[in-house]
Amino acid sequence: MTRTLLVTGGGGVGKTTVAAAMGVAAAKTGMRTLVVTVDPAQRLASALGLAGLGHEPQPHTELPNLWVAMLDSGASWRAVAQRHAAPDVAERLANNEFFLAAAEHFPASQAYAAADQAATYVQARAWDLVVVDTPPSGGGIDFFTAPAQMADLVGGRLLRWITGGPLPGRRFFYDRAARPVLRVADAVLGSDLLERVAEFLLDLRTTYDGVAQRGREIERVLRDASILVVTTTNPAPLHEAIRFYRTLPELASTPKAVVFNRSLPDTWADPPKRLRADVREIVDRWSAETVRQRDFRDEFSARYGARVASIPLTPKPPTDLQGLADLASSAAGMPWEDLGIGFPT
Amino acid sequence: MAGTRLFLVSGKGGTGKSAVAAALALRAHRGGDRVLAMEVGDEGSLASHFATTPLTFEPREVRPGLHAMKVSRPDALLEYLSLQLRLPGVGRFGGRVARAFDALATAAPAVREIITIGKVYWEVRSGRWDTVVVDAPPTGQIGSYLRAPRSIIELVPTGRIRTQAESMANTLSDHEVTRLVIVTVPEEVPTAETEETLDWLEQEAVVPPPLVVVNRVLPVFEVATRPTGVAGEMVDLHQSLVAEQRLWLDRLPGDVQLPYLFGVYTPAEVAANLSDGLEAIL
Repeated sequence: MTRTLLVTGGGGVGKTTVAAAMGVAAAKTGMRTLVVTVDPAQRLASALGLAGLGHEPQPHTELPNLWVAMLDSGASWRAVAQRHAAPDVAERLANNEFFLAAAEHFPASQAYAAADQAATYVQARAWDLVVVDTPPSGGGIDFFTAPAQMADLVGGRLLRWITGGPLPGRRFFYDRAARPVLRVADAVLGSDLLERVAEFLLDLRTTYDGVAQRGREIERVLRDASILVVTTTNPAPLHEAIRFYRTLPELASTPKAVVFNRSLPDTWADPPKRLRADVREIVDRWSAETVRQRDFRDEFSARYGARVASIPLTPKPPTDLQGLADLASSAAGMPWEDLGIGFPT
Repeated sequence: MAGTRLFLVSGKGGTGKSAVAAALALRAHRGGDRVLAMEVGDEGSLASHFATTPLTFEPREVRPGLHAMKVSRPDALLEYLSLQLRLPGVGRFGGRVARAFDALATAAPAVREIITIGKVYWEVRSGRWDTVVVDAPPTGQIGSYLRAPRSIIELVPTGRIRTQAESMANTLSDHEVTRLVIVTVPEEVPTAETEETLDWLEQEAVVPPPLVVVNRVLPVFEVATRPTGVAGEMVDLHQSLVAEQRLWLDRLPGDVQLPYLFGVYTPAEVAANLSDGLEAIL
């Protein structure tokens, strides 16, 4: 059986690094592991051997059992069209000028493509563990709601809103007199633009059956996955982490742990009292920060019944495999057993 | 009399963009300005930095003389259609037209963005405020907002929306009015994203040259002799973090630096603390 580990969290918390570290730790215990990553920082990409671009999983040259793949977030609509539309429609969609606009305005399409690709790797049964670094759109929640949102979109929700009734045939659609919104849109944007948008939506609708069925498969994979929520104690990512704990139990499953990245050691909360003035400048600041972090972790755990793991703050993010392995083994409170990964050494 | 000034605050997620936007509004307010702080997008945290309840489309006074609001698209759209484009009869259909139009706008480039930017423009032109501060979309999306008026001009040959777009484009590029503030932190990924954004802005020239605010910059301390024990660990970490930050600070434009805040608990305290360092921007 292939296990799946989804690593989620707000922007700038080191989620991609944590996902990579979990994958390296698992590969080192002998599990055949695939790390699926999104847009890693340059130093992390080189640590993962991702110097040569390519979106297919490739084996890492230095660590047996580790494969790495990069999600191609730009190719999302194209992939949907190619997979689920007739060839001529797919061709027309791919060349449509509204294609990019829709992809940009509908972040769930990127999340959908990412979830689809991740699910494909899980279903391939070629790995013991697939670790997925989820894309940040919509605060990461999109990744879980994308299959339903996508089906809703291509299923004609937009068309129904526009026409205010049953789905139209091509010709009916241009009967603007019938619909106030069409008159408004016509007055604002001009009829030419409106017609082109409508044609695009009608083409997109032919992908509905395929997208809906695939969406149900993707949702099943997401439901069976283990989830880690990565955060720091800064207000914005904490706000995100709370959202995950509130919504994920229903959307997918209760996260296995909240991982506080860049944590300071508890021993710093209570530093020596007598210090030279120059040292005191530094010590007072970091001990105040340690106390604040501890209070935030305790509050999160008490309020959401969350298992708390923490990864220490290091001056530099890991730049090689050893650094990633060290990061994983330095984690305190990580539920290794629950994740099906042996304790990293 | 000087006209209204507009500050658009963007930045990568997690750099403290909302905190800096709130701090800037507080600083302008302290200087005696009538200030409007605007939040754009669904999951904003601007309200928490003013220690107030979730923001609404109707501006609410959060300090005497300081108002805050949230640009929600359906509301902005109805207002845009009826007040700015002066389309008759929109009110009668109300929410239904707004929802349908919003759906349509999903598939049309720049239409959603022009509605949001349109609301900002409306407030700037209203004469009610000395300073308007926008907690704008993150750098990953800011381009499509800033470019929206121009995209509309390219897309729509004539008509009211085009005339409006031309006026918006002029306001955005007027350096008497508009200042784009990019918030970043001295780390690898935010630095790279800031550089990309600056390159894009230089090419497109839709707004005057932006200001870069580097947030969470650590103070530099000289320590004569390394202490032992826990204090030594702290000194070591501090000095190596300072050295790591130096790498990225050297690559970033140093317009304004804001300090790393140690042991500060609430978003309101964060914004209040940061506001002291923003004099230079105003």
